[in-house]
Amino acid sequence: MAAIDPLHQFLVRKIVELPPIPIGGYALDMSITNSVLMMLIAATLLSVVLALAAKGRLVPDRMQAVGEGFYEVIESTLVTPIIGEGGKPYVPFIFTIFMMILTMNLLGIVLALGALGGQNWTFTPTGQLAITATLAVLTFLAVLGVGFVKNGLGFFKLFVPAGLPVVMIPFMAIIELISFVVRPLTLAMRLFGNIVGGHVVMFIFASFVISLGALGMHGGLASLGFLGSAASLTMIVLLTGLELLVAFLQAFIFAALATVYLNEVVNLGHGH
Amino acid sequence: MAATPNTVTSTEEATDARLERGVARAAGVPRTAKTHAGGEQKAQGLPQFDTTQWGGQAVWFLIIFGVVLALMRFVFVPRIGGAIEARESKISGDISEARRLKDEADAQAAAAAAETAQARAEALKVASDARTKAQAEIAATMAVEEARIGETMAKAEAEIAAARDAAMGNVRGIAVDAARAIVEKLTGKAPSAGEVDAAVAGRA
Repeated sequence: MAAIDPLHQFLVRKIVELPPIPIGGYALDMSITNSVLMMLIAATLLSVVLALAAKGRLVPDRMQAVGEGFYEVIESTLVTPIIGEGGKPYVPFIFTIFMMILTMNLLGIVLALGALGGQNWTFTPTGQLAITATLAVLTFLAVLGVGFVKNGLGFFKLFVPAGLPVVMIPFMAIIELISFVVRPLTLAMRLFGNIVGGHVVMFIFASFVISLGALGMHGGLASLGFLGSAASLTMIVLLTGLELLVAFLQAFIFAALATVYLNEVVNLGHGH
Repeated sequence: MAATPNTVTSTEEATDARLERGVARAAGVPRTAKTHAGGEQKAQGLPQFDTTQWGGQAVWFLIIFGVVLALMRFVFVPRIGGAIEARESKISGDISEARRLKDEADAQAAAAAAETAQARAEALKVASDARTKAQAEIAATMAVEEARIGETMAKAEAEIAAARDAAMGNVRGIAVDAARAIVEKLTGKAPSAGEVDAAVAGRA
């Protein structure tokens, strides 16, 4: 029975079925799924918010204050302090990462209310490993690309910490290389795990509300089930607050780590 | 999970079946008949690990991310960042303008104070000059007057001395006459002028 299955919410369903595109023996299915739909909604929503915020008025109105607040989280809190003045060209990339993750995370929580109205197209794309992994690999490749464009082969100095005894260099280089290569994995898993974990826990508490409530209907000692049901409902309210925090925090952490990784290759060897 | 085109275009029913197998596995529940019907497929804990869904999601995500990134790069970041920068430069410009005006006012106040002090010093100098000059004039006038008075007094004193000498001379004559007259009255005989003179000189 799908209704009490906590993993059912992560199931990718097709909304508009399109014929698969064959690419070298692999059939790329570009059907519009609930995941794709939510990505489109998130991208549209954040574009509308930022378009309203991008009026450039000297005295900002509400939307502009909101948009500029988001922008300053990235520009003044992350990029400029971490990378320095040379970080300006990377602001759009970091800002896009932050806003995309944040919007998808928040929509995943807020639109989950739609399930009460029988709306089953609501979905959390950041709870899909495919998407967090794509974003993580994209970030990793961006760091690699910037590293080689900025430093050429000097990029490999990244794996040789300065001031190390010569005998230590091979060992440290291997350790540094491993820690560099696992970055996309940790980036992807951190976001994915946080979102999935939060949604599963909330679903389980939600199912307790119904099952314990149903138990309470039997009357007698089973009426205690209502207490458990109410406690679970309280937990959902509290968890929703927590998940809103996690939604923001995970977007911020992803953006912060992307900034830190970019800084390492932008200011390579400057001891910044 | 077999990644054949058939599975990719599977119906929702099939995905549900796949999911339920996954859930059964994850929850440690014994396989249902449906799962067995699934046959050779690998066990899946989470539907997210179903890699047949990855390609489409990844490509769609890259397309959407690219569009948003382009919007950010060419529209949102320049406009929002530009507005923030314009505001900051306006504020710092206004502050520096205000600071400049304040400095100017301070300089003017200082200049005015200096002018006042100078004017005061000049006034004091003029006053003291005038006082010195007046004192010098007074002193000169007084010296002239004193010299004149001294001269007058010296002349007067000389006149007095002359008058006294003359008077003293007259007194001697009177004394001689008186002596002669007294002697003449007493003796009935007029003394000689030489005797009287000698007598008066002897008494004087």
